[in-house]
Amino acid sequence: MMPQTTPPPVGLCVQDLTVRYGTAAVLQGVSFSVPVSGQLIGLLGVNGSGKTTLLKAAAGLLPHTGQCLLDGVPLESLSTRRLAQTVSYIPQQSGISVSLSAREVVLMGFNPRLGVLQSPTAAMRAAADEALRTVGLADKAGQDYLTLSGGEKQLCILARTIAEDAPLLLLDEPDSALDLANRSRMTALLAQLVHTGGKTALVCLHDPALALDSCDILVVLQGGGVAAVLHPKTDPPAVLQAALAAVYGPLELLPVTDCRGRRRLALLPL
Amino acid sequence: MNNRKRTALCLLGAALCVFMTFGAALALGRYPITPAALLAGDAMAVRTFTVLRLPRAVMALIGGFGLGAAGFVYQTVFRNPLASPDIIGVSSGASVGAAFAILFVSSGALSTTVCAFAGGLAAVFLSLGLAAAAPGRSKMSLVLAGIAVHALAQTLLMLLKLTADPEKELASIEYWIMGSLAAVTRSRVWFPVPVVLVCCAAIFALHRQALLLSIEEGEARLLGVRVGAMRLLLLTLATMTVAAVVSVTGLISFVGLLAPHSARLLAGHNRHSACLLSGLLGSALLLAADTLAKTAASTELPVSIFTSLLGVPFLLYLILRPGRDAS
Repeated sequence: MMPQTTPPPVGLCVQDLTVRYGTAAVLQGVSFSVPVSGQLIGLLGVNGSGKTTLLKAAAGLLPHTGQCLLDGVPLESLSTRRLAQTVSYIPQQSGISVSLSAREVVLMGFNPRLGVLQSPTAAMRAAADEALRTVGLADKAGQDYLTLSGGEKQLCILARTIAEDAPLLLLDEPDSALDLANRSRMTALLAQLVHTGGKTALVCLHDPALALDSCDILVVLQGGGVAAVLHPKTDPPAVLQAALAAVYGPLELLPVTDCRGRRRLALLPL
Repeated sequence: MNNRKRTALCLLGAALCVFMTFGAALALGRYPITPAALLAGDAMAVRTFTVLRLPRAVMALIGGFGLGAAGFVYQTVFRNPLASPDIIGVSSGASVGAAFAILFVSSGALSTTVCAFAGGLAAVFLSLGLAAAAPGRSKMSLVLAGIAVHALAQTLLMLLKLTADPEKELASIEYWIMGSLAAVTRSRVWFPVPVVLVCCAAIFALHRQALLLSIEEGEARLLGVRVGAMRLLLLTLATMTVAAVVSVTGLISFVGLLAPHSARLLAGHNRHSACLLSGLLGSALLLAADTLAKTAASTELPVSIFTSLLGVPFLLYLILRPGRDAS
């Protein structure tokens, strides 16, 4: 008889995550798991529900109890360098405050793979330009990052994420500064990056309509805990509607078919 | 004109300025020296040149470069365009050290140098220690710790001045604080010059990490930067540079603030060139200021008068010139 082997764990698993600011617990025993990779996981919830806190704790930026595991490896056990190779973090607005060209911003993404005294190689420079081309900023490579528009800045940071090539992406409201066109572009690029690259992305989103439209899995937070875990592509609209209404108040989800024949859900607040 | 070309031109221009001001610093001084006398081996001319003129010019060249490059590091690491060596107490610590040496050790060159260097480093390590003890270890707590240490050092300095003999000691302390390269001789440059050169070489080797420290802390950490250790290392290097310079020259105002600003305004977003440019501009400014300090009046004047007099109009021109980038 063949000895039974358990397959190596894959995907993201958050176990009993608790974060306190002072004595107040912002997140209390949050647990969920997504045992497949290549998934875009949306974090939903009203303001103050702990979305950003969860993201920052997973990124190791906030002291917490509990664990975040990626493919069975606790992120908390990784060194700064290993963590940077594993996790790519996109804050709501990048804290770049000095003049830098867009290309230099993207080149920062290679830092986890470079020694302290090493400079990016020619291949990395070429890859940075390619990443800028992917997000549609090829002509802005030499431009000062600070003079880019809000949307271009976010796309530039996404290009940096592409350069980083980490298996886990943590994004804090990447759509917050974007107009409609840039928002669609951003989510399409993100979905492509996750689905074709086999990465896992945990994305905080304000807008449940956008989350329903673009995410594979939704984790709904309420009062510092998980209120629901939803699968927008397979769950019946009535289930989705009830779960979202419990958090956002009365709303209606209407199944529609867009002009390209794709089945989608339109969200109407009531 | 593309950025690369503009930066290259700026660097070339700055290098030319350094070359010319270095030439002027060698040629001009209290005791007239002609190239003919030097070549002819005139003993007095050769002695004046090798013991006084050349070391003083080299000190201004290297010291200015060090102050400019260190100022660039402070502004980048603190993400604050107003950051200067004083923000974490190095200048005030060095002043206390020098005053202590003048009052209690001797007013000799060696003791003031050693005590000023030690005072500058002690103040900075006190700031860094206080900040490390604070929960969160943010950049802000380092700034606050620096302000506290600066205030403490100023108080100590005031107390030391109160106990000083107004005729001699107080005057020495005040003169040291005003800064001058008049006392720089061959025997005094062996200490600061190698320290500045080694620290600046390390700063340039680490320029990419300095750049990463200029972004938000969490973001930098997730780009693989060991933020606390790297910040400590870069600040130590910059501080050693500044302490080594001011321990010999006394306080020199404005170079560490002006040079990085000018470099950024001229070179735009080419970062490591901007650090080099900042050093070169620091050199040119200090060389020019020191040449004026030794020739403008019948007595030696404090060099800070001229670093400010030369620097302010230049900075104003850079700010007000038409067609400047919004950034």
